[in-house]
Amino acid sequence: MRSFGIEFVPMELFWRTTYYAVQAEHLGYDSIWITDHFNNRNVYVSLAVIANYTEKIRLGPGVTNPYLIHPVMTAQSVASLNEIASGRVICGIGAGDRTTLDMVGTEMEAPLQTVRESVEIIRRQIARDKGEYDGKRFRTSAGARLNFKVGDFIPIFIGAQGPKMLRLAGEIGDGTLINASHPDDIERAVKQIRRGAERGGRSFDELDIAAYTSFSVAMDEKSARKPVVPVVAYIVAGSPPTVLERHDIPQEKADGIRKDLADRNWGEAFGAVDEAMIDSFAICGTPEQCIEKIEVLFKTGITHFVTGSPLGPSVRGAINLFGLEVLPHFKSE
Amino acid sequence: MGYKEFVKSIPATMRELLAERLVDVMLEAKDGSRVPSSLAKTILFYWQREQLSSEAGLTNLLEAVSYADPDRAFTVMEGLGLEELKLAFRPTS
Repeated sequence: MRSFGIEFVPMELFWRTTYYAVQAEHLGYDSIWITDHFNNRNVYVSLAVIANYTEKIRLGPGVTNPYLIHPVMTAQSVASLNEIASGRVICGIGAGDRTTLDMVGTEMEAPLQTVRESVEIIRRQIARDKGEYDGKRFRTSAGARLNFKVGDFIPIFIGAQGPKMLRLAGEIGDGTLINASHPDDIERAVKQIRRGAERGGRSFDELDIAAYTSFSVAMDEKSARKPVVPVVAYIVAGSPPTVLERHDIPQEKADGIRKDLADRNWGEAFGAVDEAMIDSFAICGTPEQCIEKIEVLFKTGITHFVTGSPLGPSVRGAINLFGLEVLPHFKSE
Repeated sequence: MGYKEFVKSIPATMRELLAERLVDVMLEAKDGSRVPSSLAKTILFYWQREQLSSEAGLTNLLEAVSYADPDRAFTVMEGLGLEELKLAFRPTS
């Protein structure tokens, strides 16, 4: 089954994000993912309000991280959210992004182990397991558990980009949020997830695999491409050498963008983003072009497509365009 | 005259379009934070039920844009030929 999600960064007033979320539900999107960064509105406050004004759409953090939020708190948050949105809650968790963690002096230590243990603790908390947990990164004593029951299954999606995290996601996640947009990157990621599933003795077909893309749609291609430039600049600046090499992006060019972003030379940084970079790191274009690109992504084995920031030149317009021109193409299949 | 009375005078055929335009004003206003949260929640209530073009939905939207961006609201009314309603948003300066 193919699902379609949408990501919101809660930078705007709560009622605007909620308006867009309700709009997405009206148009038939399947999931809403709210990013979790300390400098934006709180993810669970945002989700609680959205849960209050929606009925069917699945929703959750996309993604939280165990460095700033202890997994027992994530468990408590998604469990509480489930009381407002029973059976609709999904939980995205990943290692976080280094830039944001650096800002608060938090080191991304042992990300694989940390995410692995976090997923286990969240599941144990939701199941109200009484036993103690003694991991390498986290410990909880016997009896440290939620004081209330969680009546529904809450699937845990692991946000991943690198091969090891992707394999971990395949091994232990209920789903994966692949942080990429290009079909080659997604295809490689799906292979790693499959390997992880095999390692964990699980059926690959049971997993919900989402391409969590940088996305922009507009009636004309030029208008769709323009808003992705800043997002792509950050992606290029943060990409490891292997990814840059795969997309024929010279390291020195990426270094230059990174430096300009750090120095807040926005014009220089964004001006260095070329068309090829946009095609490597974003899905954008007219509705017809987006349909074509999404079709290619589904052929790699993903089951879920998430439209991430910036969405389009106008958020409201982009949600409408996607919901009215792109979604019906897939939903009617 | 209150917004409720104004809304009653708006032709039914124009309500959908007006609601659309007013939502744009709300979502794009720089001063969106001036909209009281209780009013914003009332608007979300009507939006969830797809009733923003109802009398109650429009009444609340008009009140909200009077906080968020009255000048643009004036332009919207002018563009739609809602002369009477336009006066409620007439720029003061």
